[in-house]
Amino acid sequence: MAKDARDNWENPMQFVLACVSYAVGLGNVWRFPYLCQMHGGGGFLIPYLLMLVLEGVPLFYLELAIGQKMRLGSIGAWTAISPYLGGLGLASVVTSLYLCLYYNIINAWSFWYLFHSFQSVLPWAACPLNANRTGPSEECERATPTQYFFYRETLNISPSIEENGGIHTGQALCFLLAWVITYLFIVRGVKSTGKVVYFTATFPYVVLFIYLIRGFTLHGAINGIKYMFTPKMEELANPTTWINAATQIFFSLGLGFGSLIAFASYNQYHNNFERQAIIVSLINSGTSIFSSVVTFAIYGFKATVNYENCLERTRILLLNTFSLSEDSITIDNVFERIVELNTTHPEQFAELNGKLEDCNLESELSTAVEGTGLAFIVYSEAIKNMPLSQLWSVLYFIMLLMLGMGSMLGNITAIITPLRDFKVLSCISTEVFNGIVCFICLLLGLGFTTTSGNYWFTMFNDYGATFSLLFIVLIEVITVSYIYGIKRFERDIEDMLGHRPNWYWKIMWAGVSPLLLIGLFLFYIINYIQGGTPTYQAWNKDLGKSEQIEYPLFGQAFIGLLLASSVSCVPLTALYVFCQRRKHAQRHMQQHTVNTVAA
Amino acid sequence: MLERIFIFLFLPSVLAAQLCKPDAPEGFKVRLSIKTALQDEAYEWDGNERFLFQATLAFAMSRHTRQEFNVSNILVCDETPRVSFWFVVTSPDDPSQLINRGKVEAAVRMSRNRINSAFLLSDETLEFVGILPTLAAPVEPASPPWLIVFGVVMGLVGAGIVFLLVSTVLQKRRKKNQEGDEGDDDEEARVKTAENGCRSDGIYNTSFSEDEPNTQM
Repeated sequence: MAKDARDNWENPMQFVLACVSYAVGLGNVWRFPYLCQMHGGGGFLIPYLLMLVLEGVPLFYLELAIGQKMRLGSIGAWTAISPYLGGLGLASVVTSLYLCLYYNIINAWSFWYLFHSFQSVLPWAACPLNANRTGPSEECERATPTQYFFYRETLNISPSIEENGGIHTGQALCFLLAWVITYLFIVRGVKSTGKVVYFTATFPYVVLFIYLIRGFTLHGAINGIKYMFTPKMEELANPTTWINAATQIFFSLGLGFGSLIAFASYNQYHNNFERQAIIVSLINSGTSIFSSVVTFAIYGFKATVNYENCLERTRILLLNTFSLSEDSITIDNVFERIVELNTTHPEQFAELNGKLEDCNLESELSTAVEGTGLAFIVYSEAIKNMPLSQLWSVLYFIMLLMLGMGSMLGNITAIITPLRDFKVLSCISTEVFNGIVCFICLLLGLGFTTTSGNYWFTMFNDYGATFSLLFIVLIEVITVSYIYGIKRFERDIEDMLGHRPNWYWKIMWAGVSPLLLIGLFLFYIINYIQGGTPTYQAWNKDLGKSEQIEYPLFGQAFIGLLLASSVSCVPLTALYVFCQRRKHAQRHMQQHTVNTVAA
Repeated sequence: MLERIFIFLFLPSVLAAQLCKPDAPEGFKVRLSIKTALQDEAYEWDGNERFLFQATLAFAMSRHTRQEFNVSNILVCDETPRVSFWFVVTSPDDPSQLINRGKVEAAVRMSRNRINSAFLLSDETLEFVGILPTLAAPVEPASPPWLIVFGVVMGLVGAGIVFLLVSTVLQKRRKKNQEGDEGDDDEEARVKTAENGCRSDGIYNTSFSEDEPNTQM
């Protein structure tokens, strides 16, 4: 038996940590808490955990099994299963490529914020002054300092996707650093990745734990926790809740990109991936819940601080208008005094009408934010109010970096592994090949560091991967269950693990998961059709807030291109292979006839 | 005669009352938030504090205009429990003449921090309504601090990559020298190096691909 030339993980722990590092990413921190808030707090856990059981774990198991059995990247593995379906692997690679291009810009932003935390006063804590130094700059006045720092100083954002300034040099430098570090992590392939994941998988938990303690001791955190955990059961009747739970599980586990197949292909043949699949899925969901507890504590703190600032401003306004002594109104009796003053001095009170703010804790808590807005604006606003804010800021952004880098490892491995299975490319040494891939992604991704880069990022984020992944995984599960055959798949697993998968797995693969995926797929199509022209949030510097604008024509064309380019790989490759075989068969027939004549 | 004496006695205060009133054309409104600023160490606003205010304003005016101003040139009126009041400044040469608003503003601006520190207050807690404080210029360091941290991290990462690449190259060269010494006796080694260098056909699972010759029965 010739020695296996393929790289391997040094021990199964590295594989598990790599999967955890890949699956536990930014989505756990910035998407799940939002969904929890939108869909009734604690009650959202019911559909979430149900979907984990129905589609999350079975599909995760499926991908690991394929990778470990075929010991090839996604293209090679699917070609081995059925030659017509090599396009499935190709679609995965294309989707992973899109993800690699835009995902590292988030790491660049994290680096930017991290480096800016090493100052005595955090730059997003106060507005910079305007030209005459009489007050803060106008854009910052209308928005908040944290929003100003993100949109103006970090991104230098243009008013719409059509207008483009140059590249933001600071951003470009951080982006370069992000790619250099990614290269450092994967330079020797699995040998270097295996060592890095020890750190990237475990450090975020340390920070989350520290933040949990810090969060619970913050003033007003309990308001946020209470808000999250009071379940609103009527939300369960809303179908959107179930759909969002299904899609969240699906995307959170990172299915369909080919990363799991790539990671598993480096396993020993008899590795017990069944147990590992369950463990990783549970860790992923547990982290989502854990981080949403932390996020809600932070929300509660931020909402309480804003509410109390609002009350303070109202109090000063009342004192100044009615010239009352300072201790006649305190924060606690602002509302009673408003009523009193309204009755005793109605004319003076009427003058106030425009300036009196409506201070409401509930409305502060219910402003739900997700995505980059949560990570970079809301969290940094909460951090600036904490004592020792520089320390908390550094910790937080290092955690974001670990989460993001860990996911990048999976993304880039999903591209490199299938490509290296081709004879042509495997002649180049690992280091050089990985370097070339990183360099190409760096050049293509520089577009995201321009002034309209954030809009392109949003486009890629919303359309680059979502639809294609559903399609890919649906075809995957149907292929394995019906084209390859459950019986054959069972035998393969028995060969690797020593026992057959039990009835639960088979029912999920053959029945429940495909049905769920078809349902999600249809829902997405209907949503696209019904939604009308796709829109995006553009930052309006005169108003100091975001507003929705429709994508211009070239934007919509590009969205179509994104969707079509990955999805069409499957039918096009099948067609290509079909034509190749017909040609091959015809030539074979001709050879046969020649031979008989000669004989 | 007596009336004239009375008029003469009360004239200044009457004049003062007429010169200093809320919304006076050359006057300013001042607002102090002593309790907000000092909490437990807050002092009460009384006649002495008012006197201090008049004295500091006279100081500010003298400093700015190079004329001698006296405490009696600063007229204070309309005090409220908020601790807010109006004041006007009269000319030292002619007590019935008011100093121009612009001059008073310039004088206050010039000595703002002296006035603030006399009362242990700041720009926000001692407000001159209508006079915007000149905010302190932000401290601009010579090189932005973030670049320094960036440079450090980039340098470390670059060094790491260079180290890894160099060690890989050295390893490969060492292996090549070793194989050159061992010679060509060990066939397995040769097979191994061939496989390690360039993956030929790999571990392609032919049992799972469709075999055309078989089906072409």
